This record gives sequence, C-alpha cells and structure tokens, in this order.
Amino acid sequence: MQLATIIDKVRNNERISREEGVELLQKAALLDLGELASEIRFRKNPEPRVTFVVDTNPNYTNICNIDCIFCAFYRHEGEEGEYTYSVDQMIQNFKRAAANGVTTVLLQGGVNPKIPFEYYVEMVERTAKDVPEVMPHFWSTSEIIGMSNVSGLEVREVLQKLWNAGQRTIPGGGAEILSDKVKRKISSLKGTSADWLNVMREAHKIGFKTTATMMYGHLETDEDIIEHLESVRQLQDETHGFTAFIPWSFKRRYATCR
Amino acid sequence: LNVNFRDPHLIPVWQKIQTGERLSLQDGLTLYNSPDLISLGKMAHFVQQQKSGDAVYFVLNQKIEHTNICVLSCKFCDFAVKKGDANAYEMTTEEILGTLTPEIAEVHITGGMPPDWPWERYVDIVRSIHEKFPHADVKAYTAVEIDFFHKKFRMSIEEVLRQLKDAGLKTMPGGGAEVFSERVRKLLFNQKIGAKGWFEVHKAAHKLGIPTNSTMLYGHVETLEERLIHMIKLREAQDETGGFLTFIPLAFQPGDTGIKPRNQFTSAIDDLKTIAISRLMLDNFPHIKAYWVMLTEEVASVALNFGADDMDGTVGQERIAHDAGAISPMKLAKDQIVKIIRDAGKIPVERDVYYNALNVYTDHVVGKIPFLNSVPFYHHFEKRQFKILPIAPRRMGLLSEKGELDAGLFSLMDYFRQENRLELFNWCIATRDQVKSVMLFSNHGWRDLDGKLIGITDETATSVKLLHVLLEKKYGVKARFERLHAGVNDYSKYDAVLLIGDEALHHNKLGLADYELVFDLAREWYDWQKLPFVFAVWAVKNSLPEGTKKELSEIIELALSQAEGHYADIGEFRGKEIGLSRNEVEEYLAGFNYRLGEREREAMKEFRKLVQEITINV
Repeated sequence: MQLATIIDKVRNNERISREEGVELLQKAALLDLGELASEIRFRKNPEPRVTFVVDTNPNYTNICNIDCIFCAFYRHEGEEGEYTYSVDQMIQNFKRAAANGVTTVLLQGGVNPKIPFEYYVEMVERTAKDVPEVMPHFWSTSEIIGMSNVSGLEVREVLQKLWNAGQRTIPGGGAEILSDKVKRKISSLKGTSADWLNVMREAHKIGFKTTATMMYGHLETDEDIIEHLESVRQLQDETHGFTAFIPWSFKRRYATCR
Repeated sequence: LNVNFRDPHLIPVWQKIQTGERLSLQDGLTLYNSPDLISLGKMAHFVQQQKSGDAVYFVLNQKIEHTNICVLSCKFCDFAVKKGDANAYEMTTEEILGTLTPEIAEVHITGGMPPDWPWERYVDIVRSIHEKFPHADVKAYTAVEIDFFHKKFRMSIEEVLRQLKDAGLKTMPGGGAEVFSERVRKLLFNQKIGAKGWFEVHKAAHKLGIPTNSTMLYGHVETLEERLIHMIKLREAQDETGGFLTFIPLAFQPGDTGIKPRNQFTSAIDDLKTIAISRLMLDNFPHIKAYWVMLTEEVASVALNFGADDMDGTVGQERIAHDAGAISPMKLAKDQIVKIIRDAGKIPVERDVYYNALNVYTDHVVGKIPFLNSVPFYHHFEKRQFKILPIAPRRMGLLSEKGELDAGLFSLMDYFRQENRLELFNWCIATRDQVKSVMLFSNHGWRDLDGKLIGITDETATSVKLLHVLLEKKYGVKARFERLHAGVNDYSKYDAVLLIGDEALHHNKLGLADYELVFDLAREWYDWQKLPFVFAVWAVKNSLPEGTKKELSEIIELALSQAEGHYADIGEFRGKEIGLSRNEVEEYLAGFNYRLGEREREAMKEFRKLVQEITINV
C-alpha cells in the first residue's frame, strides 16, 4: 500500500478504507497529514473562520454506578464527597451563567439510579422556560440509557420526551473508543459500541443534532481508532445527524487507567 | 517535495529555498506574516532533512549553576540575587563534582557573576571536571561571563579563553545574546554586553578552536524585524568563522521578572514559526535546537517536524528557566526524550559535544555519508520503513559494530573490519582517476614528509590508511599522525593536513591555511596502481531478513538510476553549501563510479593486501 496513493485518494474526495486509515495514522509524516487535513478542512469550510461557543459544563451529580477506570470524577452513593443537585439548584446555576453571557449549557453527570426520569424532563422544561437564553445541550448516551432503565421506557421514548420538553441537541460523550474489546477493559458497565451508536441513531431520527467524541491515548490500538472513525462515518452516512467530531486525549493524571 | 501552498506569497521564497539560495530580511518577514503554518513547516522540514536526514540529537548532559550571586540586575532574570540575600548560594568545586555522575557526556556550566571569586576558581571548576570525568565534555561560561572575566581580571578575551581551553573547555554555551538590537538592549538588558561584545567573544573562541552555541531570547518587546536581523547577524558571523554548532531560540518566560510583555507566554504558533524560520534563515548552521525546558515537551516534539534537529539533553539542574516559570518537569529522563523523538517520526541520536553520534535508539536506520559524493544514492532514496542517519564514515563504522544500523554506505576499512557481519552490495563510491575530495594539504613534497606531523581527519579510516599506504609503500617514508576533530581547528602546528569529503572539496577550491601543495590521494593511487580506488561500499547487516535486504537493494538501484544523468540537479543544494557551481557539481559527481564492477573488486583486493603489509610492519 503506497502512502502517496492514499493521499491522492483523499485529495480526490474518494473514501479511504480502514487499512488505508491505519496506514495514514502510522506512517504519514506529521506535516503531510496536516497539509492534507487542512486542505479538506478548507474544502468543507472555505472561510478561515474557527467557531467557539460560550458555554458552561456543570455536573448535577457525581454518583455513578458505571465505574469506568479512566474516570476520576465519580463517587458511589454514600461515599465521601458524593452530591446530587436539585433542579432548582441547577436552574439557579444556569441563570448565573446566562448572566455572564453563557449561551449553551452542556450538562452531564453520573449515571445515578436514584434519580427518577421526571427529574431530567423537568430540568429540560425548566431550562427552556426559565432560562431561554441558553441552549440545553444535556445528557450523555449513558445517562439516556440510565433514564430508560429507571423509567422502563424505550430509549426512543425517552428521547422523544426530552425532545418534547424542548431539548434539541445531545453531547457526544461516552463513546470513548467504539471497540468492544477496549470498552470491556476500560468501561465494562457502560454498554457496547452498539449501545452508543443506537442512542445516537434514535436521537438523529427524531431530529436531534449531536456531536461524536473519541477518547484516545489509553489502551486502544491504532486499528481501534480507525474502527471508531469507521463506525461514526457509517452512522453519519445513514442519519447526517452529527455536527462535529471531538477527539480528546486521555488525561492520566488522576485516573487509574495506565 | 510538493508543497500545496495556501499562501501564494510563500512560493517565491520556496523557489529560493529549493535551490539553496539565501533568504533576505524581507523573505523572513513574508514567512513570519504568513498564516500558512503548515507550508512554512514543510519548507523548514525539507531543509532539516537535507542537513540531518531523520536524525534528532540529544546529549546526556547536566547543568551546573555554580552560584546565583550576580553583580548584574537584568530585568528578564529572576535567578540572580545579591550577596547576602537569604537565597544566595555558592558551590565549591567539590560540591560541583559531587553532583556529577559517570554517564554524563556534557557538563553545561553557567551562573551568576559574583563580586569576589578569584579567576582560579573558574578555571579550577573546568579543570577538575575534565580531570575527574574525562568522558564528560565541558561546555562552560557564556559570552557575558567571559567578558566579565576579561574586565575583572584584566586579561584579554583570548587569554581568558586560552586558559579555559587548556583547563579542558570544549565548547561554549550561546546565552547572553538576547536580541541583537540596541533599542531592546537599552530597554531591557542595559547591563549586558550587547551584540558587539557577544560576537567578539564568540569569534575569538572560534579562532581558538572552541565551537560555540548561539541563542535568541524572543517573545518580550522585540519586533519580528529585530528577530530576523538577529538571525542575519549570526549568519554573517558563521560565514566568517564556521564555529557555531547550533542555534537555540529561547521563548521568554514571563514569571516573576521585571519585564511585562504584551502576552504572558509566547504562543505555540510563534514558537514553531520561529524554529522554522531560523532553520530557513540560518542556512549555514548545522543544527537548530528545540529547547524543551522552555518550549514544553509537547511543542518541542512538534518542532522536530518544523526544522529542529536538536533536543538538548537530559538536563540536570535548570534553575534559571524554572524559577521564571517554565512548566516542564525538572528532569526529563533519557527514555522520555527518546520517546518524544520517536513519536515525531525521527531517529533519537545520542551525541557528544561535537554532535558525533554515539548511539541510536530506533530500528531500520540506514547510514548516509553526509558528503556531496553520496547524493546520487540518497536524493531519490524512497525511505518506506527506513530512516536516514547522516553520519561521518568512521562513526558509521562504530555504530554498525554495535549493531545499530541496518545498512549503509560504509568506509572501505570499516567494511573490511566487519566483513563477517556485513553483506556486500553491488554499489560503491569509487574513483575513475582523481577524486578531489580526499586531499592532502602540505608544506612538503611526499618524500620530505618523513617524520613530519600530519593532522588527519577524524571522519574516516579509509583515507587515513590510503595516506599510510602511499607514504610507506609508494614513497617509502613514515610520518606521525594526529587526529583533528571535525569543524574548527588550528592547523598551524601541522606540516600537512588530510581532509576528506566536502571540507576537502571546499578547500581544494579555496586553499587551506598557508599550505602550498595539494595532493589528490585518488590520483596518487591511480598513477601508481592504474586502478580505481574504492572509498566506500554499500553493505547490509547479515542478520537482516532476506526480504529486507532485497527491498533495500531495490531502493538503492532505483535511487541511483533516477539520479544518473541529473547530477547537477540533485547536487545543487549541497553544492551551494560548499561553494560549487552546478557545472562543478556535475563534473565532480561524474568523476565517480557508483557500481561495484570487476576492476573495483580488484582494487579492493590490492588495497587490502597493501594495508595488511603495513600493519605487519608497524
């Protein structure tokens, strides 16, 4: 497989295969890759413009039963430092943020089985009603699956109720690496790749726009990274519901994953 | 190399770079003002690869800051204190020796300038380290300190340097240059020596055979134009002396200093641009350093694709940068440096103080003789999984002995020595009649060299043996030999000097010191033996898989056949560096035979026989 051939394919807008993706990841020189990526970026978004959003990322609870080994945030119920905020408390928090110019709230928390589904719906409704200046960009896929578990509703029904309450976008966290081999090691209780993709698919069908993330730099291989990109690409072909892809590198400082 | 420029203003600059033409101040500004970071990086990386291949150098070094007491009060420094201050310290020579460990290859000494130390104390530090740790080369005292010694102890700069050199000083750090601008100096560094004083010290060092580093402190109040003028001044000095080893752009660390720059820290973009632009402006500098202590490991790692080929070292105590807020950890272990360099796709090369390669830490390394005459093999060399390490022939032999190279164009003597572990390929560098790049510059004719002292190149064993054979077997005389080191040398004590490679080629054109006679060793051999002379042969490690050997031989053949007939084009860049025109390059390269035929094999056999005879006689 010739690197130059792969680079030409990308330039000609041809889709590259998994094997070709791995080859690029492993062998391409940094600036050849950078140049190519920059070309595609300007092809898709011709303006030399980089967007950002003024947002805030509060967490309504740190109680979680999923125990991901890369996470330094979660606590178990009853453990020192655990907390859960009420809807009122969070709305006050959003109002303060809005007063400071925040336009989006990315709200996430642990998967806390003691919180009833009504809490989540109310959070969305109250935000739409009481703090209309901010967009509710709430809940990772794990929390949505958690809502399905506490309410007995299908994921699709959960999503529809959130939509009806006024939510329009969902953050793309929790994907970690869409490789079940790696997921079993780093987040065995968090569900499979298919679970993440399924929540996203259902959300896109209803009309939600979402992002997609990838956490790399832990136990995954280069092939796992490409498998992840391939899965996200396939779903995008199907639904066109992703707005942005967000790769983030694992921060090993306080976590147990080494 | 293809660059897809987003910024068309860069295209004329790129045309200059590709042909080795020197960039102007205006070109430098065009580069700085361009938003096309990637193209800038690719251009700098192109030049980096011409100079250093895939090598990135580091050294197992340690810093000694013997005292923080200083008579100066520079605004940018929060290291120095006055005598009597609670934080003041002064290390004795014994304390300094106590911090050193045997594996250290370079000791870097700089510190404050206390009011009351006697001259002998500074000399003693250098001498004691040199004596107790003979494998550690001493790099000591910035130009500012040398100037301070000169004034305080009422000795000429030359005398200060000579005494330090006699005590064991090998090289000097490049600090104290700051920015060569009187405007900035008056604003920030009015107690320091300024451009004139700095260059005076460094040029004096170069003339005494002490190579030095150079620096630029940027990211405070200087303009982009002032940065470029700084680089141009260094470039001019390098044209004059050739004594600078490396250039180190130092990003200013605001911290608790008296300087309030517009921004707190330089941006990564500015750091990368400055590295890349210094590589492009400083066309006569061999190395550009990404000083990770100040850049952070992350930016330093990226910089290795933006023109930098030098990672400084393991570094021991680094109080000056740390006190001013550098966020890198104090000690970056060797493993970590090796990892950073590998991640950047480069070869981690452990070096000595003169940038000789001591060890490499990656697989698939192919050695390259860094001379114009090897360009036909390497210009079109399609690397695939291999990485190219430019290295002097003798050093290539040493690395191969340790098993650290897959293949290379070996000096003939190194091939003979390692015949049992190397497999000979069918390519070589052989002369037709003369070669012009293995030259003896002499004050005497051949027969009058009996008993005389000849300075011999440190770079290869083959040319030295050839000289030996010619002296003893052709002319029946014996001379004494002494090794020179690559780069700066004082030739005055030698009756003759043997140079090889581009240095020989350069001096063949311009002459060397006052030597009146110049002999071409290949010509001497040819006139005597009527045979070509084989200087180097391609060989691979025996133990490589057959598939890898086959792949390498295909790559070499393809590279050579693409080069044949285009010598002026492929040699132009390197030729310009040593002052040869396209025609001269073409003529020079056409003088070689790159394929190992019957006559070349016969010449190898004959030379081996003669070498064995003189070895027995010794």
